Amino acid sequence: MKNGHAWTLDPEQRASLPTVNVDDLLVAVKYYVDEARAHVRIRDQAVCAACAQQPCLAFCPVQVFARDALGGITVGYQACLECGSCRIGCPNANVDWQLPRGGYGVAYKFG
Amino acid sequence: MPDPNAQRYDAIVVGGGPAGVSAAITMAREGLEVILIERGRFAGAKNFFGGVMYTRALAEVLPDFQARKPPWERPVTEQGYWMLAPGSVVRFMHASQAYRQDPADAYTVLRARFDPWFAQQAVDLGALVVPKTTVVALIEDADGRVIGVRTDRPAGEVFAPIVILAEGVNNLLTQRHGLAKADLPPRFVALSVKQYIGLPAKEVSARFGLAGTQEGLAIDIFGDATLGLPGTAFLYTDKAGISIGVGLLLEEFVKHGLPPYAVLERFKRHPIVAPYLEGGEALEYGAHLIPEQGYDRMPELVADGVLVAGDAAGMVDALHREGTNLAMLAGKLAGETAVMAHRAGDFSARSLGHYRRALEQSFVLKDLKQYRRMTDFLDRSPHFMGTYSGLVNDAALRYFTAHDRPKREMEREIVGLLRDRRGFFGVAQDLYQLVRGMRG
Repeated sequence: MKNGHAWTLDPEQRASLPTVNVDDLLVAVKYYVDEARAHVRIRDQAVCAACAQQPCLAFCPVQVFARDALGGITVGYQACLECGSCRIGCPNANVDWQLPRGGYGVAYKFG
Repeated sequence: MPDPNAQRYDAIVVGGGPAGVSAAITMAREGLEVILIERGRFAGAKNFFGGVMYTRALAEVLPDFQARKPPWERPVTEQGYWMLAPGSVVRFMHASQAYRQDPADAYTVLRARFDPWFAQQAVDLGALVVPKTTVVALIEDADGRVIGVRTDRPAGEVFAPIVILAEGVNNLLTQRHGLAKADLPPRFVALSVKQYIGLPAKEVSARFGLAGTQEGLAIDIFGDATLGLPGTAFLYTDKAGISIGVGLLLEEFVKHGLPPYAVLERFKRHPIVAPYLEGGEALEYGAHLIPEQGYDRMPELVADGVLVAGDAAGMVDALHREGTNLAMLAGKLAGETAVMAHRAGDFSARSLGHYRRALEQSFVLKDLKQYRRMTDFLDRSPHFMGTYSGLVNDAALRYFTAHDRPKREMEREIVGLLRDRRGFFGVAQDLYQLVRGMRG
C-alpha cells in the first residue's frame, strides 16, 4: 500500500457505468467557436503515441480527445468547456492549454 | 517610457466572477477609475458551480443587495447529506425556521444569471466592465513591478498602478508571474460536472416536499454517488429546475480512467435519485475545476502592484462547499487595499501586504487554516465516504427490519459489520484523523 492508493476500481463498479453519448450532452451547450485558432493543442504527438493509458480519452468531460489511426491524439477543441482538466491531468504535461480569444469558446446560458 | 496615449486607470481587475466584481464594486464606490476585463461574452459566461450562494459575504460587498433584486433561484430552507448505497439511502437533513429569513443566508443560483447581475452593480457604481477580452500577460516595469496588462485586443495595453487577479482556477497569469509555482497536481483539484434539468416550478416543489419557490433544498451526497471514491455529488433545487452533479478529485478520474459524464449518468439513474428527475429536460451540461489544495499550497497573494483573489488563489473551503463567499470577501479586501495604496501612493508588496493581514483576520484565511489538514485527510482515507455510506445503509436496514429474533443479535450484527469492513482500529484512526482535520 503506497499512500493508501494501492486499491483500484472494483470491476463490478466499472461495469455499472452506463454508456453515454456525449453529443447528447453537447446539444444543450452554447459555443462561439474560434475557427481561426485552436486553444488546446498536443505538444508532441510522439509522447501521446507512447502513452500507455491515454487517460485524457476518458477524463475529459466532453471527449475533446480522440485516438487517431497512428495512436496519436486528435483535439476537438470546438467542444471544450475550458475546465483545464487536461492541462493538469495529462500525466505527461503534453497538453498546451491557453484561454480562447476574448468572446470565443463556451458561453453558459444557465451556468 | 509607456505610450502617453495608452489607456490608464486607477486599477485593473482581471476576471468578472465573484472576487473580481467584489473588488471592482469596492474600488468604484471609493471613487477609483476601475476597469474590469472579462474574457467571456458577458461576466458569468464562463462561470459554473454547483449552485449555492451565501449572502453574508455579499452583504459585506453590497449591504443593500436585496433591494437590488438579485436573480435568486430559491432560498435554501433545508440542507444536509445523503449517504447513498446501491438501492438505498440514509438521509441526514436539517430544516429550520432560522433558514426562513429575508434575505436568507443561502440561495441557489444559476451563474449565467447571477454574475451578470452582480457585474451590473459594479457598472452602476461607475466601474467599466469590458467583456470579450482576454488578458494574455501582465506588463511589468524594469524592476518586475506590475504596471498593467496586455489583452488580445488590437493596441490592447491597459495601465494601472495595481492589478487584481481574479482569473479563476485556471490561474495562468498568477503562475506566469511566479505567484503560484506551477499548476496544482490533480490530487488537489476536483473536477465537477453538472446538468441543469428543467422542470415546472410546481413539480420541483411537489417532488421535494416544498411549499413553493420560497423553499428550497441543498443536498450533498456521498458514497455510491461517486462509486465510493473521494468526492461528492449534489442535488440543488432551482426555481424551475434541478442542478445535479458529481465531483471527484481529478486524480481519481485520471487514475481509474473514469468518464465524468458516465459517473453523473450513473448517479442520475440511481433508483433513489431517478424519480426526482423524471420527465425533466436537460437544459445544460458543464464542467469546472475546484481548487482544493488548502491553506498550505495557496499561491502568494501579494507582489509589487498585484493582488490575487478567489479561485485563482485557491480560496475554497471544500468541506463546507464554500468558495464564492470567500472570493467575495477577498475581492472586497483586495479592493480596500487598493484604495489604501492609492491614498498612500505606495503600491509595493510591503504596502499591499495589508491585504494578506486583512484576510488573516477574516474567516477566509481562518477557515482555510483550520481545515488545512482536511485535504490530506481525504487523500489518506479514500475509503472514508464509500465504506461508511455502505455501512450506515446496511445498519439502518437491520435496525428498521422486524426480525424474528432477539434485538441483541441484530445489534451484534451491526457491530460485526463495522468490525469486518473497517475494523475498530481503523474506525478509531479515521475518527482521530477527522477530528484533527476539523480542528486544524
